[in-house]
Amino acid sequence: MLRTTLAGLRLHKGRLVTTVLAIALGVLFVSGTLVFTDSLRTGFEDTTMGATDRLASVVLPDTENWDPQSEEEPRLTPTLRDDIADLPEVGAATGIISGDAPLLDQDGQALGQVPTAGLSVTEDTRYSPETGTLPSAADEVALATTTAEQTGFDVGDTVEVLDPEGQAHAFTVTGLIDVSIGDPYLIRGAVAFTESTAVTMTGHTDYSEINVRAAADTPDAEVTTAVEDAVGGPGVEVLSGTEMGERLAESGGADAATMNMALLLFALVSVAVAGLVVYNTFAILLAQRQRELALLRCVGAHRGQVLRGVLLEAFIVGLTGATLGVLGGIGVGYVGFYLGGDSFGAAVSASSLTVSPVAIGAGLSVGLVTTMAAALVPALRATRVSPLAALRSSAVAHGLERRAGWLRSGAGLLLGLVSATMLWLALGSQGGQTAMLLVTLAGMVAFLAVVVLGPLLVRGAIAGAEVPIRRLGVASRLAVDNAGRSPKRAATAMLALTVGATLITGYAVINASVERTLLNQLDEQFPADYTITQQFDLSSPEQANEPGDGETNHTDTDTATATAVDAAEGVAPAVVSALEDAPEVDTVFSELRATAPGLEAGQRIPVSAYLGATVGTDLTAEVEAGELTDLGPGRAVISEDHAGSHTVGDTVQLDTERGETELEIVAVVGDMQQLWGLTMAPDQFTEEFPSVTEATAVNVRADPDADPADVRDVVYEAAEDPTLQVTSTAEARSEFTEILDTAFLAVAAMLGLSVLIAVFGIANTMALSVLERSRESALLRALGLSRSQLRRMLVVEAVLLCVIGSGIGIGLGVLFGWAAGAVTLPSMLTVIPWSQIAMFLGIAVLAGIIAAILPSRRASRTSVTSALARE
Amino acid sequence: MSDSATLGQPALPHYDTPPVVTARDLVKVYGSGETGVRALDGVNVDFTRGAFTAIMGPSGSGKSTLMHCLAGLDTATSGSIMVGRTDLTQLREKQLTQLRRDRIGFVFQSFNLLPMLTAERNILLPSQIAGRTIDRDRFDHIVDVVGLRQRLDHLPATLSGGQQQRVAVARALLSAPEVVYADEPTGNLDSRTGAEILTFLRESAEELRQTIVMVTHDPVAAAYAERVVFLRDGRLVDELNDPTAQSVLDRLVHLEA
Repeated sequence: MLRTTLAGLRLHKGRLVTTVLAIALGVLFVSGTLVFTDSLRTGFEDTTMGATDRLASVVLPDTENWDPQSEEEPRLTPTLRDDIADLPEVGAATGIISGDAPLLDQDGQALGQVPTAGLSVTEDTRYSPETGTLPSAADEVALATTTAEQTGFDVGDTVEVLDPEGQAHAFTVTGLIDVSIGDPYLIRGAVAFTESTAVTMTGHTDYSEINVRAAADTPDAEVTTAVEDAVGGPGVEVLSGTEMGERLAESGGADAATMNMALLLFALVSVAVAGLVVYNTFAILLAQRQRELALLRCVGAHRGQVLRGVLLEAFIVGLTGATLGVLGGIGVGYVGFYLGGDSFGAAVSASSLTVSPVAIGAGLSVGLVTTMAAALVPALRATRVSPLAALRSSAVAHGLERRAGWLRSGAGLLLGLVSATMLWLALGSQGGQTAMLLVTLAGMVAFLAVVVLGPLLVRGAIAGAEVPIRRLGVASRLAVDNAGRSPKRAATAMLALTVGATLITGYAVINASVERTLLNQLDEQFPADYTITQQFDLSSPEQANEPGDGETNHTDTDTATATAVDAAEGVAPAVVSALEDAPEVDTVFSELRATAPGLEAGQRIPVSAYLGATVGTDLTAEVEAGELTDLGPGRAVISEDHAGSHTVGDTVQLDTERGETELEIVAVVGDMQQLWGLTMAPDQFTEEFPSVTEATAVNVRADPDADPADVRDVVYEAAEDPTLQVTSTAEARSEFTEILDTAFLAVAAMLGLSVLIAVFGIANTMALSVLERSRESALLRALGLSRSQLRRMLVVEAVLLCVIGSGIGIGLGVLFGWAAGAVTLPSMLTVIPWSQIAMFLGIAVLAGIIAAILPSRRASRTSVTSALARE
Repeated sequence: MSDSATLGQPALPHYDTPPVVTARDLVKVYGSGETGVRALDGVNVDFTRGAFTAIMGPSGSGKSTLMHCLAGLDTATSGSIMVGRTDLTQLREKQLTQLRRDRIGFVFQSFNLLPMLTAERNILLPSQIAGRTIDRDRFDHIVDVVGLRQRLDHLPATLSGGQQQRVAVARALLSAPEVVYADEPTGNLDSRTGAEILTFLRESAEELRQTIVMVTHDPVAAAYAERVVFLRDGRLVDELNDPTAQSVLDRLVHLEA
């Protein structure tokens, strides 16, 4: 039986090529992902280890019990450093001072939402220069490579950094230091000074870590033990250099693991689609080989032998595909790592390439299991072939599937109904995780319904397409007839495409909806051309609270004012008046905010007022009840989540700085948008909260006639305090759109592979059908169908399958994309990206044409007489 | 259909009418050089208008090859084939396809019909391929003569072998081609059904003056023709007018000897 199987495989190998390729692509994705992420992890370790293994040990303050909300960050004292340096095992003990040191960008504004970190760095710390040298004089700095990239500064440039008093100091950049993955300064950005400069610039004298080097001839382990014995204890953590490297790599590794999961999820989709392709290939091949199998039964093979023979075939196909896939995956994973590893912060070198046994094992087993599982049903069906079938004429191998069966329609409709109910429940619920899960499940059930109803859908779609397509000529008419002749086969082939089309469309709908919704919110939030805000201050714990927590700041003890940076409260009124005086500016309105005890015990409510803006016209929100324009003294607008049982017309009590005040609610607005919390009239706000003078945000609307460049100059001039952040709405919008577009492209590319596999499947189905119909093709040619008409017939058939498959996918994608969006964000504005959908359909047509190229060439080249002579 | 059969009195052969199809010095070689097989080795044959001719010969005598060449399905190595005024051997692939489409009809032994088309659409297929308007009167006439009126909307799989073959004959005759080639048209049928088909072919030749060339190895089938030509080893070796099954058999036995 083994020999028969092998001989059969050799004979039919041409027919299995695309199947092997489909499996190989799916496996490639799996193995490629594993190789890529494993290499990335090794790369992370290489970088972090490279930085820390020069150190014997690292001493850190214990931050386990530190509450960043209320306490200063714990630090290590210089005395502790001296104690360590005095140990005989220690060669050098260097403290690193770190704190806020806002670097000014090319525009002269503080870089980023969060100030950059200032560090003290010497040769004996874990930071080393990648280019240039470490700073050695008071007017020298080194920048983190990421910071240099972000700002465009380079060695030799002069940069400005703010000291704790907000004074700018100029420095020359002497070098760039590599901040490795896992280091908090990687994202925040860092400026490195000499130790004495660091003290001036950050205002700190204590260390955030102490790097220890071994004395000559002392093993690192001894040093760590000695340090641990000397200074270890509560509040101090002693790590060896290796442990520190591992800790840093770990947080990078967590990124790699997340990426691994995401990529594997996409890989799974590809593998599932490959499984569909394998299933269809085996189903068709075995149907075509019915006589051959029956002949085997005639000469004495029993059912088990037939089954084993078919499964052995699947095993060989799966093994070949999986092996190719694993090899390809190693290649792709490495190329991906080589090209992309750098941007994730991993060291790219040949030694980082990690091919774990898991990557190989997982690839091989996924390929084998998928292939054999997919072949099982066709194989079982093959065993039911009666030996007598060998004697029957195989003119039409299995007749035409005309009846769909009530069972199929019933089951399909039931599944559809279940899916619809789940969707309805999800949409009716409060949203959140459960609703999302319901939508996902509903999507899966709906897909199952499509699988079950597939043949019916194919027939229905073909009936619908028949009228327009028939007008296109006899080749197209015949194509329509052919497409509908074995709906099961056509359905499986196109379902493979439906999977990809559903997911891509669904994501496109969500992406477009999120974009529109958030852009709309941006419009509501910044009904302005520029917004000025204060840079978020990390150094003082009070400020780390909700910005504008003005009331507690000033009624509490003087902790807030005691912290170094006082300016970080908000935008000073001077900025507002400067802007109001500028002729280029049309309107300026500033947002004042305080926090008061909520309407219900234990709750706090943000109280806002908008100076210079009219609520209801300049600022809007989704109104649940009442009228926004009714806002005035003694009145308030409140958001639904803070309203509790109160509604429009009710009078509520609010504790303010001045005491209790009574407010009448004039409008209730939706949650989580503009006008969140309680909004009162500006005049009343300044009376109730006299301490709040600085705005959390100042919005500037330009005079429509003003030159945009002038407006920009005016705004930047007004915001001369470098710690102020100026956001241009146009810039924010384009940055935001860019992020979403990139995300969409990445996801589409991941799902694109499954589409490619599906196209292989359709090409394979077409090729096998062409083989099966070689007599028919010959007959058509004899009756006068030209070669090009024959080709067109096959192309139209393939295009029809692709368009139906992707059409169903697009329908499902739009439905579930909308549902997923609606349950995640109740205020989601659903956008159906028609142009993208049109593009998907265009791609489907193209896919059909590509899928039909080889089969149709083959069909049109076959000699008429030899095909007629063939039995 | 068999009721209307007129087996007794064959009409006079059309010796005097000009030939519709003429083959001269037809040679077909498969392969090349030493191993080349001469399937046709200088065949000269004429088929006159309205004649029903059978081509007979033992297996491997080249009768199918001759038919394929005459029908423009295969290209001859040398020699000429005239259909009317057209020399087939001078035509290119595209023109050959058009010639088959417009001027030639086919009936094959089996697999004559497209399984996804109804009987009616199978009959109309060549006209649709050619984009011709359909002569409804002729269609109705032919459908009635072959007795398919009740079966027009059936798919081939639901028709009997005889019915399928009648659909094929109706299709070949609908566009009144210059010549109809039939390749073992009764090979897959029982004798009674086969007789019906052959009678119908003969009547078509007589009444519609339809030229029919049939390849067969069955003497009984050949006896329905007006004339039988015998082929052996790629050469035309004998010819018989107004054959009977017995006379054809005698010639065959003589040939095989």
